[in-house]
Amino acid sequence: MTRNNHISIRQLLLGVCTAGALLFTSACAQNSTFGSGTSGESSSSSVAIAVMYPETGQYAEYGKMFKQGLDLGVKQVNADGGVQGKKLELKYFDTQSDPKQTAAIAPKIAADKSVVAVVGDYSSGASMAASPTFQQAKLVHYGFNNSVSDFTSTGDYVWTPQFSQAVFQKQNAELVAQKAKKIAAVYIENDWGKSAYAEFKKEAKKLGISIVYESSYLADSTDLSPILIPARDAKPDAVVHIGYGPDGALVVNTLRDKLGYTGLFYGGQITQEYIKLSGSNGEGTRLIGPFTPDSTNPNAAKFVKAFRAAYKTDPGEFNQTSYASIIDLAYGMNKTSATREGVEKALKTVDDFPCYVGTKTTFKFNQSTRRMDSTSFLKLELTDGKFQITD
Amino acid sequence: MVDTLITGFMHGNAYAIVALGMSLIFGVSNVANFAHAAVFGMGMMIAWWLGSVLGLGIVPTIILVALITGLIGLLLNTLVISPLQNRPSVAALLATIGVGMILDNTSQMIFGTETRSFPELLPSHNIEFLGVRIGTSDIVMLLLTVAIMASMAAFLKYGKMGQAIRATAQDTQAAKQVGIPVKRIQNISFVIASAFAGVAGIFVGMFNSNVSPTSGSSVGMTAFIAATIGGLGSMPGAVVGGLTLGIVEALGVYAFGDGAHDLITFGALIIILLVRPNGLFGKKQVLHEPMTGSFSGGAKPYRIPRWLGPILIVAALVAPFLATDYFSSVGIQIMIYAMAAMGLTMVSGSAGQVALGQAGPIALGAYTSAILVGQLHASFLVGVLCGGLVAAIFSSIITFPVWKLSGHYIAIATIGVGSITVALIRVFEPITKGSLGITGIPFPQLFGFTLFTPQLQYVLVLTFLLIELLVITKIRKSHLGKTIESIGNDPVASESIGIRTSAYKALAFAIAAFFAGIAGALMAHQYTYIDPSMFPFATSSLVLTIAVLGGLSSPVGTILGAIVLVGAPELLRFMSGGRIIVYGVLLILIIIFRPQGLFAKKE
Repeated sequence: MTRNNHISIRQLLLGVCTAGALLFTSACAQNSTFGSGTSGESSSSSVAIAVMYPETGQYAEYGKMFKQGLDLGVKQVNADGGVQGKKLELKYFDTQSDPKQTAAIAPKIAADKSVVAVVGDYSSGASMAASPTFQQAKLVHYGFNNSVSDFTSTGDYVWTPQFSQAVFQKQNAELVAQKAKKIAAVYIENDWGKSAYAEFKKEAKKLGISIVYESSYLADSTDLSPILIPARDAKPDAVVHIGYGPDGALVVNTLRDKLGYTGLFYGGQITQEYIKLSGSNGEGTRLIGPFTPDSTNPNAAKFVKAFRAAYKTDPGEFNQTSYASIIDLAYGMNKTSATREGVEKALKTVDDFPCYVGTKTTFKFNQSTRRMDSTSFLKLELTDGKFQITD
Repeated sequence: MVDTLITGFMHGNAYAIVALGMSLIFGVSNVANFAHAAVFGMGMMIAWWLGSVLGLGIVPTIILVALITGLIGLLLNTLVISPLQNRPSVAALLATIGVGMILDNTSQMIFGTETRSFPELLPSHNIEFLGVRIGTSDIVMLLLTVAIMASMAAFLKYGKMGQAIRATAQDTQAAKQVGIPVKRIQNISFVIASAFAGVAGIFVGMFNSNVSPTSGSSVGMTAFIAATIGGLGSMPGAVVGGLTLGIVEALGVYAFGDGAHDLITFGALIIILLVRPNGLFGKKQVLHEPMTGSFSGGAKPYRIPRWLGPILIVAALVAPFLATDYFSSVGIQIMIYAMAAMGLTMVSGSAGQVALGQAGPIALGAYTSAILVGQLHASFLVGVLCGGLVAAIFSSIITFPVWKLSGHYIAIATIGVGSITVALIRVFEPITKGSLGITGIPFPQLFGFTLFTPQLQYVLVLTFLLIELLVITKIRKSHLGKTIESIGNDPVASESIGIRTSAYKALAFAIAAFFAGIAGALMAHQYTYIDPSMFPFATSSLVLTIAVLGGLSSPVGTILGAIVLVGAPELLRFMSGGRIIVYGVLLILIIIFRPQGLFAKKE
């Protein structure tokens, strides 16, 4: 019995030592970050924007698109002289867009004094789990991909350049109403899809469109025939899809290849992924868009040129929003100061942020919703493998 | 209607062809191989590469894919499954989840993350048939499914090798004694099954038309359910299960929309298992030892000496005030997951039942407290306690029928129950706001004081954790605890002395669900936002893994398990892209080299 106890204590101590060593390593890791952050606060020649994004995991493809846009943005800012003479840096944190990881990493970002703003994450769940920490630290959380209506509700340090779905879906419904009176609608079952579709439905009813079939679908469903068969059989003038690229391609491919549907299709997404996946089935896809590589907006045209030079491919919506987020923040800081306070002040006061979406060339923030003020969008049609402006 | 049936049948065939391999491996090695889905996904991506980048035709693609995935199967068996041969089945189950993680991430690194179109190796939409277009590829897939099923069934029944495989499955020791080379037999069956998985990937790739490195796992989970519905280990069962599930899903989704998809899939699983506890074609299982077997039986938790306990507690209390906020926030995540897992030392440790659906009670606790405190303005403590109670009551009710099942069927049924819970939360929109999620959940508030710093929240969560530790330890030592343990050690003996095993299993589960609910509530008040997508199967498997790694017989061990499993991704942050792969390898190594758990010694 005593002998047993001895062994257990010895092994326990071993365990405790191991755990201690682990903790010590982690503490060191933190301290180095923390230390360099505090010491580098005012004297340093660079400032940083922290990025929470899915580098790995199921959303990694979006993470990749974000990184392309963000890297290009920061390169451009530094080529143009940085922010207030300082070099702008990005500090990337892979979160897999998992709230458990964003909540954990947020205080580390907040404690790093060289960080003047945070951008990301991909999903609103992951983003919003981190927002309260940034709110307390008085650090602006700029959720450039978070269009869900409640995103900025955490507090006055949470902002997004995403336009509201109310404005966007109104114009979307108007586009559909031009050619269709009777539609079938499918939308992705998540926070964004749900609220976007609710807005669309409201506006569509106002315009006298009758919705003869509707269903949501789960993001990981691989066969959508069971909802698209009744959609087709309702004999609509058009099928409207509200969702992302891969699922949009699945919808249009199923409709055209499997179910022989030949009517109009609204939806998809302005990404190369959608264009490639839908191929010839996607031709004629119509949608309202904030951005297209062929945009006539001069800011957007400049961005497209730079993006093509850097990556030898056309940019999509995710590249554009992530790129613009860095440009916005740098532009703002250059008008105020390259500090956390400067970022917040800029979002509140600057009224001519360069605008990359729709046709306007500048935008300001709506101070009560902390979102981009209303804007106009482009009417697009997929022709010859490109989203082209139509009327 | 007929067209819906046809597409359902074809989709079901895609499940069936994947389910065949899963059932084969289960029949031979008694392993619920969760990595099979990843092997299948890998086959799909390799075929994409061969077909579109190299432009190979269907025949060379099939041959090469079968060779490569067969090799993966061989490695899987020799490196991971074989070393776990004489261990309880849950060890292999968790290890295969780790392997799946590694394979999926490797595939993402090799092939890139985007969704892409699968090459049309055979025409896919050339036959017009009662309102839908199917393709030569679909017909070939169907023929292939039937051929594999028939040949495997005949081979197992009449072939010499097949008989050896079956003998090995029935009694490994006896098979060894009559001179069957068991190792080689198991290797061969892993190779065959994995090669089938790869070939299935080719045809399902053509069926889905769009593929990405992660599409394997979503089809894989459904295929696993199909194999279970059909009866694990039965070849005809896998096919009938796949087709049944495909048709039920198609009809259900046709009627209720795809938003109810999970509810239909997992609902079908539970209902079929209630009627046929061993699946449609499964034979009555011989009473195996509990899946968690010697994880608890052969191990004894370390004891913390009396003098050390208070020191550790004080150290844990003081640490956040000496370290950074980052320490506190990581600490909070670790402790919340430790809380969710600790109760499993009763269910999986004492009662020997594998529960793979803890995301269910966690979500229930989170939603209850979010609604009570955030919308009805109840006090924080009331919200959290009600979170625990609702989780315990609701989860116990919908899990109750599951305890009549045995072995792997319980593990898979609990996956179903966890998913159904989350699916119901999604559907009950008026109360839960469904997919929109609940925002603005207040930070914890005690006696009018808001705990808004990470340090204070850390102390709060630590307090809850210590209370749970005390309660669980007391229960384990009590008469009740011993009764529950007797069920795990010998279910037959305990039945024969008049213990109602189902009732006690349900009670143990209710206790675990109560604390998981509290953990969920604390999570909600820390994130301040929740939506149904935050409670996936990965949460359930993480919670079980924490309990197993910590040592199923040791509540303190779960804390250590959580430090490793929740803390490691943070510590490995410096490695960037490869960190999830390293994490998976770490997980497998611990399972292999510390079978009794981190905080227990072998007896």
